[in-house]
Amino acid sequence: MSYNELTRRYFHDPACIGTLEGPDCYRGAAGSRSAGTWVQFDIRLGRAGAEPRVREARFLAFGCPHVIAAASLVAEQAEGATPESRLPQSVHALRERLEAPVEKLGRLFVVEDAWIAALQAAHSHITQSSC
Amino acid sequence: MSASPVYLDYAATTPVAPEAAARMTECLTRDGTFGNPGSASHAYGEEASARVEAARAQVATALGAEAADIVFTSGATEANNLAIFGTAQYYKDAGRHIVTARTEHKSVLDPCRELERRGWTVTYLKPGAEGALDPARVAAAVRPDTVLVSIMHVNNETGVIADVGAIAALSTRIGNARIHVDAAQSVGKCEVDFAALGVDLLSVSAHKAYGPKGAGALLVSRRRGAHLMPMLYGGGQEGGLRSGTVATHQAVGMGAAFEIASAARGTEHGRIAALGERLWGALREVGGVVLNGAAAARVPHVVNVSFEGVEGESLLAAVQPHLAVSTGSACTSATQEPSYVLRALGRDDRLAESSLRFSLGRFTNEADIDTAAAVVTRAVERLRRIAGHRDAGRRIAGT
Repeated sequence: MSYNELTRRYFHDPACIGTLEGPDCYRGAAGSRSAGTWVQFDIRLGRAGAEPRVREARFLAFGCPHVIAAASLVAEQAEGATPESRLPQSVHALRERLEAPVEKLGRLFVVEDAWIAALQAAHSHITQSSC
Repeated sequence: MSASPVYLDYAATTPVAPEAAARMTECLTRDGTFGNPGSASHAYGEEASARVEAARAQVATALGAEAADIVFTSGATEANNLAIFGTAQYYKDAGRHIVTARTEHKSVLDPCRELERRGWTVTYLKPGAEGALDPARVAAAVRPDTVLVSIMHVNNETGVIADVGAIAALSTRIGNARIHVDAAQSVGKCEVDFAALGVDLLSVSAHKAYGPKGAGALLVSRRRGAHLMPMLYGGGQEGGLRSGTVATHQAVGMGAAFEIASAARGTEHGRIAALGERLWGALREVGGVVLNGAAAARVPHVVNVSFEGVEGESLLAAVQPHLAVSTGSACTSATQEPSYVLRALGRDDRLAESSLRFSLGRFTNEADIDTAAAVVTRAVERLRRIAGHRDAGRRIAGT
């Protein structure tokens, strides 16, 4: 298996590894180690005016180099995203940037599912708080 | 070449021994032995034939066989195919059952699958947790209609040695089956004595033992009266079993390589064993590791280790810039599927996938081993940290 430069960079030296703790932090995960791909995102929310925004994100990932690189890219680019938003870029755009083979699309969807799960955890908390 | 990855994939292939390469080049050009060894009508052919026969004698001596037993082929894959299809075809009226193991090389398993499609029945034995086959279980699978038992000598992924002598003794006592041994990984690593093993057919490869790629042999025991139908027709070379002009330079390279490997085996074995122990001793410090085949008899040249908590493709990608190693067998690593050999040993998909096969050879030294251990340790610890694995960031006792 060969990897493009972006994948190699984010696989060998990924940004935003780890977890976040605190009352303003939310966690989402998807996939399973036993199935070969598992991703977890932690996000910390802050406010930009009235709008809640992602201040920072961290990830953990068990998976192939494309999954690790994708999760790292998503976490790195998450700053400023609203909790309602989807991935900073689509799974298909991620696959193209990383030049991942099409058969890895399912693994990249696990990255998206984990990100959405973290955003939904944040969103449901915000919704409950405002009720 | 200091930036080249450390080569620890000698079970996949080896560089040609310089002495063998020198002999080969003597058989290629106009000023060398370029004649057709089948051309008995002139000196060029006679000279080539003499070199082929000298090579045949070298191979026979290295393997405890008679020169007449040696049938040169293009490699072990062809030899395995010839052994299986040739035996099945020759004895088709006596029976259509074959016994083999799930951990055999694809060049045994795929011909067996093809014979199943043609109406033969094949029993695929599962080895024990350490990869060893109980000879009594092999013999118990032999039926009155069994025409062939095909068991590999040294497993290419784990290095586990099968007791093929005992398998042959027990199996032939029960039925009339011919015994075939795939010994592609054996030459130079452990003793191969064709006559003493009491088997009918034995496959070997040149490039696994510092000979050229594209050369191998099937040993057919004349003494035991083994018979085969050929797969290739047209010329009747190699006793009619393998038509086609014998590649003089390939045979000469193989003969020289086998002679060297056989002579060096005694001293190499201890040196390689010490290096293998050094590697495993360092890797077990990472914790959460399994040495596959640890409790079975193994050649020391193969150290196959599974790493808990890391994904296989990422592990290989992490070490690849620095190390040339395999995940599973080199022939199947392109498929990115867990090793069927390790799965047959009872490893789950994740553990089978996260295995690395380190295979040591003639040019491996302590510095290579220390580099490999450091690179793998760093990669495993990093990937476990990324995965949030329970063992990330701390060393635990090896399992």
